[in-house]
Amino acid sequence: MISPVAIRLEGVSKRFDHGVKGEVYAVRGVSLIVRPGELLTLLGPSGCGKTTTLRMIAGFQEPDAGRVWIGNQDVTRLMANQRNIGFVFQSYALFPHLTVFENVAYGLRVQRQADAEIAHSVDAVLDLVGLAGYDRQMPHQLSGGEQQRVALARAIVVRPRVLLFDEPLSNLDARLRVQMRGEIQRLQKALGITAVYVTHDQEEAMAISDRIAVMQQGVIVQEGSAEALYHRPASEFVAQFIGRTNLLRGRVTAAAGTGVEVEVHGQRLHAAGAASRPAVGAAVTLVLRPESIAISAGGRGLSGTVVSRTFLGEKVEYQVRVGGETLQVTDYGAGGSRVLAPGEAVTLEVPSTGVWILGGRA
Amino acid sequence: MTAAVRRPGRDPALWATVFVLWVLLGLFVLFPLARLSWLAFFDGGRLSLEHVWSILGDPNHRRAFANSLLLAALVGAGGTALGFLFAYTAARAGLGRSWLTALDAATLLPLVSPPFTTAIAMIFSFGPRGLITYHLLGIKGATAYGLHSTLFAETLTYFPIAYLTLRPILAAIDPNVEDMAFSLGSSRLRVFRTVTLPLAVPGFANAFLLLFAASLADFATPLILAGNSFPVLPTQAYLQITGLFDFKGGAVLSFALLVPAATVYFLQRYWVGRGAYVTVTGKAGPATMIKSVAPWARWLLLAACAAVAVVIAYFYALLFYASVVMAFGANHALTWRHYHVIFTEGLKAIHDTLIIAGVGMPLGGLFGVLVGYLVARRRFPGRRAMEMVSMINYALPGTIVGIAYLIAFNDPPLALTGTALIIVACYVFRYSPTGIRATVALLQQIDPSIEEASQGLGARSGMTFRRVTLPLIVPAFFAGLGVVFIRSMTAISATIFLVSINWTLITVRILENMTELSLGPAAAFSVLVVAIVFAVMAGISWALRRLETGGGLRVTSILGG
Repeated sequence: MISPVAIRLEGVSKRFDHGVKGEVYAVRGVSLIVRPGELLTLLGPSGCGKTTTLRMIAGFQEPDAGRVWIGNQDVTRLMANQRNIGFVFQSYALFPHLTVFENVAYGLRVQRQADAEIAHSVDAVLDLVGLAGYDRQMPHQLSGGEQQRVALARAIVVRPRVLLFDEPLSNLDARLRVQMRGEIQRLQKALGITAVYVTHDQEEAMAISDRIAVMQQGVIVQEGSAEALYHRPASEFVAQFIGRTNLLRGRVTAAAGTGVEVEVHGQRLHAAGAASRPAVGAAVTLVLRPESIAISAGGRGLSGTVVSRTFLGEKVEYQVRVGGETLQVTDYGAGGSRVLAPGEAVTLEVPSTGVWILGGRA
Repeated sequence: MTAAVRRPGRDPALWATVFVLWVLLGLFVLFPLARLSWLAFFDGGRLSLEHVWSILGDPNHRRAFANSLLLAALVGAGGTALGFLFAYTAARAGLGRSWLTALDAATLLPLVSPPFTTAIAMIFSFGPRGLITYHLLGIKGATAYGLHSTLFAETLTYFPIAYLTLRPILAAIDPNVEDMAFSLGSSRLRVFRTVTLPLAVPGFANAFLLLFAASLADFATPLILAGNSFPVLPTQAYLQITGLFDFKGGAVLSFALLVPAATVYFLQRYWVGRGAYVTVTGKAGPATMIKSVAPWARWLLLAACAAVAVVIAYFYALLFYASVVMAFGANHALTWRHYHVIFTEGLKAIHDTLIIAGVGMPLGGLFGVLVGYLVARRRFPGRRAMEMVSMINYALPGTIVGIAYLIAFNDPPLALTGTALIIVACYVFRYSPTGIRATVALLQQIDPSIEEASQGLGARSGMTFRRVTLPLIVPAFFAGLGVVFIRSMTAISATIFLVSINWTLITVRILENMTELSLGPAAAFSVLVVAIVFAVMAGISWALRRLETGGGLRVTSILGG
């Protein structure tokens, strides 16, 4: 096994000619380090520049500005065929005129390896992805999941320095997606290879990644582990893009230890954490995750009225009117609590660790 | 984001290929046209329109111009009507497979024959000793020349173009749309008038323009059938050069032909060529029982199609018959002597034609695939220009191309007149655009990331092209190959100016035989050409079928134009 290498982007930008808007930036000044052996996900909505960033790492596109490093080598001006990468395409991009065996062998034939060596490597990798015995099939005879495995085998058999995935699971059905993402993660760890993974699916990103970089309009807005992004988002965009969330407007009334006191709809809440330390008196946004709110018919906290409820078996989802706003609350019913009816008056209790403050920087 | 198109960057192979292609296009497309314009519009190095006026002032030439337009318009209208009859019958009459195959066969025959086989059969049928006029009706001294017979022959020759244009458009009309009109209480005729016909309108315009252009450019049919009373531009230009040795006059006349030809080409390509109503919205309905044709109307349609097919079959049977009798119209004793003649005296023409077609075929196929690939997949300065320039010789009437080549390659250092090279070059640059279009169409169906996958695995651009792209566009390569070969066997309008004592062509010999009234050898030559073309077509479609088993990509029609 070769020791894994880092990938480094330094101020990488890419412009495109847009028919209507003229020159637009697809990627603007992106800097990023992917640590050796790590699986980093570029996550964002469509058009945020994540695929373009990945394609610049691969060498399918050349940046207009900035540099790309793989290991200690500046690969900015190298073509894709000189970079020693493994790329898995959204459309699989299998060679339709070649058998499974020849598809996987393609990269080895490019390297002019001996036939016996090629046969050995291809058999081993087909075995690894669970496709032993498929070598004589043509791509169009395979199911979507099998095609995806061939694409994966073809990418890893050449022992690339880095593995790049461009939304590899988006053409599969939901159950297969969950299964394949587990296999991709297992393979990546077993091979100990540095990987960059592009997706717009936040659940997939959280399941598979060591770290996630969230992109919005061509820039990286936040990088970190799934937990960090979920519990400590840097912006409203990240808070809303990852998981479900409630955003409330409030005003800082006092500093309290590491946290702050906030007034929301005439009631006080204590928040333990903030993206940046807010000034007293500043207007701020509170991020409340639906499952961190405790709902009950009586008690202390924000008072509101149930608007609607959805019973989903293991949990109940409520829409609760508080002041002029509607909050989403998820109750997992741990205490065997009663299902509340629409129109009922309720109180919402929020522990200080469940409140995250955005804005109002001192 | 056109992510798939790679920049040339450091790719010397791309630059070298682009450079070579431009040199070839410059030499065999732009240079002849420049020489032609120079000869037509310049005198002693100065712009001079004096000659132009004197040529255009000739009432005979003006009549030829008007005749050409009249003939083209009539052929356009008649051919579109006939093509629609066939297309509508194929799409709506609920025919079985064997009927459809018969319709296709009847329309294929005129498409792949030498352009004047119908004209020859017309003479056999309606001439002074014609089977119908003389033998059946006993008319003495009947004349088969003029507008009527030219119009009839050209309509029968070119209506398959309209059929091929209209059939997919009619087939794409969702039957549910017609069902909907029925359910709202329309009669069948009303549905046809208010739904089917309007949806086919872009197809009509397209078919009309294609036929108009084909008739405008047709040289062989009027040369045989139009006669002295009905001069048209291509034949006038030909006579100006071969009869009067007036190159300048021929150049001016060919420019007169260029004006309507270019107008029609641009109308077709950039205006109606694009448009077809997209009627498939959402999921297309299941194949409903198509009720849009009443039973009696169905039989009427079938009878009309069958009648046309019988006329075509009769013409070809006549051609064959004339090739195996002593002297058609006088002595109907069976003989092989005409075939003996063409395989002895005529052997050189057969030999030359096969060599030229055989050399041009791979070159034209390769040229088409290369240009198509570069235009569709690579980004380099002048890409659009290359696409347009490569289409010029295809779009121009053959007479113009022939005269331009004759003028351009007559003097050193490019004295190619009289060589085989000039004929091969003419065919390659005139008929490879079908291959270019087929390649572009096929590449548009192939996900560009397949080529990127190869690149990502370390393959250089040349290797990616060889190992991935080329195998995928092999169907287009074969289609291009086939068209170049077929046209090399059957074309005459351009190359009649380029043949010599050293290199001649079967089609030119047929024409010579016709003018010498040795009809037997002319018929035998025609039968031979049709036979060779069919054999090659069968071989190519066999190869295409073999290739299509794996990928599921297909080239729809190899004879789309």
